[in-house]
Amino acid sequence: MARGPLMILCLAAILAAGFSRVGAAGDVELGQYLAGECLGCHMADGSDHGIPSIIRLSEADFVMALNAYRDGLRAHRVMQMIAGRLSESEIAALAAYFGGLE
Amino acid sequence: MSATGKRRQRPSTLGRRGFLAAGVAAGASLTAPHVLAQGHGRPRVVVIGGGAGGATAARYIARDSKGEIAVTLVEPSRAYFTCFFSNLYIGGFTGLEDIAHTYGTLAAKYGINVVHDWAIAVDRDARAVTLAGGAVLPYDKLILSPGIDFVEDAVPGWSVAAQNAMPHAYKAGSQSELLKAQVMAMPAGGTFAMVAPPNPFRCPPGPYERISMVAHVLRQVNPTARILLIDPKETYSKQTLFELGWEQHYPGMIERIGPDFGADKLRVDPVAMTVDIDGMVEKVDVCNVIPAQQAGRIAHLAGVTDGRWAPVNAADLSSKMDPDVHVLGDAAAQGDMPKSAFAANSQAKVCAMAVRGALTGSRMFPARFANTCWSLIAPEDGIKVGGIYAATPDKIATVGGSISDTGEDRATRKATYEESVGWYAGITADMFG
Repeated sequence: MARGPLMILCLAAILAAGFSRVGAAGDVELGQYLAGECLGCHMADGSDHGIPSIIRLSEADFVMALNAYRDGLRAHRVMQMIAGRLSESEIAALAAYFGGLE
Repeated sequence: MSATGKRRQRPSTLGRRGFLAAGVAAGASLTAPHVLAQGHGRPRVVVIGGGAGGATAARYIARDSKGEIAVTLVEPSRAYFTCFFSNLYIGGFTGLEDIAHTYGTLAAKYGINVVHDWAIAVDRDARAVTLAGGAVLPYDKLILSPGIDFVEDAVPGWSVAAQNAMPHAYKAGSQSELLKAQVMAMPAGGTFAMVAPPNPFRCPPGPYERISMVAHVLRQVNPTARILLIDPKETYSKQTLFELGWEQHYPGMIERIGPDFGADKLRVDPVAMTVDIDGMVEKVDVCNVIPAQQAGRIAHLAGVTDGRWAPVNAADLSSKMDPDVHVLGDAAAQGDMPKSAFAANSQAKVCAMAVRGALTGSRMFPARFANTCWSLIAPEDGIKVGGIYAATPDKIATVGGSISDTGEDRATRKATYEESVGWYAGITADMFG
């Protein structure tokens, strides 16, 4: 079976492609993974049962909101903690992912 | 990861028929040209346990692999009652039907083969799971998320045979209904006793939120009743917040007996309805026994436990005994995260990403974890504790944390409670679709 080395090459190529995307527009695939952390609380359908919707925001608004938590300008300790460990590119990735949801 | 890769190369000839049957039953389209072209069939993931860990992992793998991976979810319950929020049912803040969930969306929308049966054996060499009904499910990756079982003889005098007289109500459903009915039927001025579990156990603030909810009910229907909390631990989660809340809302009603007064030398008699605390015998009307806990039985049968729990690697929740087996949630010994639904849901997404990566070559990302546990002390008096975590070579390690303040105003506490209601909607949608 020559599948193993082939798969490793594929993986390397995919990873390389992925990293090269980071830094420009948000990396949607990374955003989808990171979004898992948001969707333990926030509804994916955008409804609000006690925790506000984070979809259908413009990417700029999304980035601004997370930066405000990260900088302590918006008061919510759990969100400050969550946002506090997100890098610029991770926030961009999340904004791109959530911005693209229906 | 490299060990996982090696195992993956072995072509799986076991149970091709089983896989095809599963795929057809689930109605999933067989759109996996890359993998099919290799002649191996779709890779198969079997998930055992349909709670916060297992249901989430199954859903994320099925959703994100878009049919490339055949996912089977084994869960005995056709209707799953969440343990989280079952205290709020006891307190009258939610209905039993509101904490019941079924698996139809996971089957219909996500193409997951949902099998309502008990897994009774795992053959890790053959990579196959045997079900109580006789079926055998081959797997390429196995995810165990069986939750907890009770340790036998942990509370002398108590056994599963006695759980109708002394309910645990720590797996939700009929036990929750039973405990609530017993509280409502207590004689005026009667005694409710709880035997709290030793560490580590599911939902660290859970027993103390339950005390709060029982006190809330009794204050309305039976205000002279007393609550006896028999606790073998020196300290417990959110202790100051709970105790200040009890003083405020239920003054004089709750008495806690800790290990300094013999709570660790306890015996119960479910026929006489007595508790014997280091020689002091108390007659009680309701006795909620929450015994010491361990990983669900299938984790032990699979041979991936060391003592009571299943040790896992932090980066992908893979078992330290077998790279093709992952263990999530309460059953796992992972490090610093509490045994909570939130934690299991968080771990499931990291595991799902890693399993997809190993089976289909999809992109892998560094593990990250979070947890928040809300508790209700009284109407509109909610508190919470949260943490963020990262994978280290040794364990899932705490990176940061926060907890409600003791002096918070009523608006903050109300907002915290409302947030918990929002979280319930969010996590159950994330689990069940």
